[in-house]
Amino acid sequence: MIHYIIRRLLLTIPTMIGITVLVFLVMALSPGGLAAGLRNESGNMRPEARKKIEDYYKKRYGLDRPLHEQYLRWMNQVLPIGFKEPDAGFPKNISFGLKTPDLGESLLLKRPVIDVIVEALPVTVTLNLITVPIIYAVSITTGIYAARRRGALFDNAWGTTSLALWSIPSMWAGVMLLGFLASREYVQFFPPGGQHDTLAMQMPFLPRLAEDGFQRGWLLDAAWHLVLPVICLTYAGFAFLSKLMRASMLENLSSDFARTARAKGLSEHVVLFRHVLSNSLLPLITMAANIIPGLFGGSIIVESIFGLNGMGKLMLAATYSKDRELIMSETLVVGIIAVVCLLIADLLYVVADPRVSYE
Amino acid sequence: MSEMAVTPIEKSSPEARDELPATSRPWLEQIWLDTIGRATAKLGLVWIAIITAVAVFAPFIANSFPILAKIDGRWSSPLLHYITPADVTLIAVSAIALALWPFKRVGFRVKCLSIAGSAVIISIVTLIVIHPPKAEVFDRYRTLAKEGRLEKAIYAPIPYSANDRLRDQFKVDNPHPRAPSREHLAGTNPNGADVLSHLIHACRIAMAVGFISTSISMLIGVIIGGLMGYYASWVDLLGMRLVEIFGSMPTMFLLIMFVAAFPDYRSIYLIMAIIGVVSWTGDARFVRAEFLKLRHQDFVQAAIASGLPLRSVLFRHILPNALAPLLVSASFGIAGAILLESTLSFLGLGIPLGEASWGQLLTDAVGSGGSFKWWLAIYPGLAIFLTVLAYNLIGEAIRDALDPKLRKRD
Repeated sequence: MIHYIIRRLLLTIPTMIGITVLVFLVMALSPGGLAAGLRNESGNMRPEARKKIEDYYKKRYGLDRPLHEQYLRWMNQVLPIGFKEPDAGFPKNISFGLKTPDLGESLLLKRPVIDVIVEALPVTVTLNLITVPIIYAVSITTGIYAARRRGALFDNAWGTTSLALWSIPSMWAGVMLLGFLASREYVQFFPPGGQHDTLAMQMPFLPRLAEDGFQRGWLLDAAWHLVLPVICLTYAGFAFLSKLMRASMLENLSSDFARTARAKGLSEHVVLFRHVLSNSLLPLITMAANIIPGLFGGSIIVESIFGLNGMGKLMLAATYSKDRELIMSETLVVGIIAVVCLLIADLLYVVADPRVSYE
Repeated sequence: MSEMAVTPIEKSSPEARDELPATSRPWLEQIWLDTIGRATAKLGLVWIAIITAVAVFAPFIANSFPILAKIDGRWSSPLLHYITPADVTLIAVSAIALALWPFKRVGFRVKCLSIAGSAVIISIVTLIVIHPPKAEVFDRYRTLAKEGRLEKAIYAPIPYSANDRLRDQFKVDNPHPRAPSREHLAGTNPNGADVLSHLIHACRIAMAVGFISTSISMLIGVIIGGLMGYYASWVDLLGMRLVEIFGSMPTMFLLIMFVAAFPDYRSIYLIMAIIGVVSWTGDARFVRAEFLKLRHQDFVQAAIASGLPLRSVLFRHILPNALAPLLVSASFGIAGAILLESTLSFLGLGIPLGEASWGQLLTDAVGSGGSFKWWLAIYPGLAIFLTVLAYNLIGEAIRDALDPKLRKRD
């Protein structure tokens, strides 16, 4: 097992490097190159402002140097470990060690990218933290139910329904929910967007019954704003996981250990929930790694429809205003988060199932 | 069919072979029959056939130019005058495809090659021969009608083109977007274009994106996955890193990064290529798995031993055995590509403005003032949903048909 874990950890390193190379190359080789932001605004820029941005790009990438040097220079700044002052000159003040990663400066927001990302990331992560358990709960329940009554009405109906749910484009679901449940024309039951009510800061934290009626409180208000976005993110995930759960239940139900358990005289209930279920849950661990990148991608649409200031909305804003520093850093951060999720899921799987070995 | 059908028999296990009917149909044909035997797959195929027909004949279904018009006593056909090379090519190629289909004795490969060949030739010829006017003045015939010079006119069933902004029908008391009425069966969008016409013309984009991006992604996936599976060892290790890099990145982020890299060069072909480039990892993964399984089989060893070139071993001997699962992935891939394109267009990052796309219509459903235009949400959304669902249902049906466990039950 320890062998596997070490090998898995080592294999993550080339993937991480690969992601940085991919992000860098796409931007560096595209029309306009890394400094496209400079070119776009150069028409209406004062000379000193332009000079400042030029210096920024020169310091960050060394645009007069060959491509691999530009990449290494950029890596040195993006990584949390590296040379602290790249311009200090080689023999003199070289200091190598841990530092805060420098993700560059956003031209759009005129702020360091890392600050912007640190603000946006919690919103997206919160969305995912709410969504993933819901997807798993529904999929596991329906998967068990469908497997127990294989071929029955529920099995077939849920199979088709979940496939249909998977086919609903999430922007359509978002627009429809927003239009019918949060608009002035129809039912204005939910807030039309944003993370909080405008008066949220004056609310008490928890809901309570005051003299002037029910007060929602900060927490419930935030949850209320998240209902529609979470619906949009969850429904598509059921099809795949539920099908997987059903298949793995069916496989284990007809396995030798299930037969042994039944032969011992255990009740069907115990066989199902103590013996079969725990084994059937194993393949679902790995799937978390496949679902989380999808949810991050889905959050682009959901955040833009419901006006949540998360990673997805930030990415769109960066794309609209051609802010390459922001696009690059954000893709990098999201990519690395996804790889780490993949790694954690794989390691968890080994811990949960000791039969796994590499090869 | 014969070309592909011979080898796969080797793959099926003895039990599976016993299950074949006495006539022992070729494997791929059996899979096909199993697939279309399912009601869901039939529904999916019917919907795709409808969408394809609508896409091919779009200019004849919805067009601002009359099919026939009598102006100042002279008959002419404005529609044919404005027809583009793409329209003619589409119609001609689909006519050839339909004409070739019933001939059972013509091999599948010959059919495909002749359709592809004729498509290339026809598109070149039409590009040289047909020169539609550069500017389309949609108001022209309505103006002529108002002036009374248009004596007779036969219009298409929906007398509006997708890009016809209806400038001449602008009214202050009834601004666009207008709700569905007898005049505009599905309403208009904020630019004043007819939504139904938009929906009809957008079938083309959806179909083209589905097929072309999936072809690109499958080509990349088959080549990389095939090499990985065939060579195994370090090629596999290296290839798997590449798959992991592209596969672990959230598709939408990767897609938007690529789109952002070409901000000023956006075209439908670029979008197709980008969608293909970001979604090949699934194909590569299981082509690799299939090749890893097959490479030690006797028939592959025999092909290598007889000194065939690598290309022939990979694509002529191993690939046909992995073909049926590729069909499943192609079907799901088309659905995914249509979904990705409409999402990109919804976000304003997809195809250029002015071209018809389902996703673009959805953008205007929720206006800036928070007002909701239901006809701009329901109709395009339903079109995307049904098309994606149709491909997913077909993919699911092929997968079930391929599954030996399910087959035993029947």
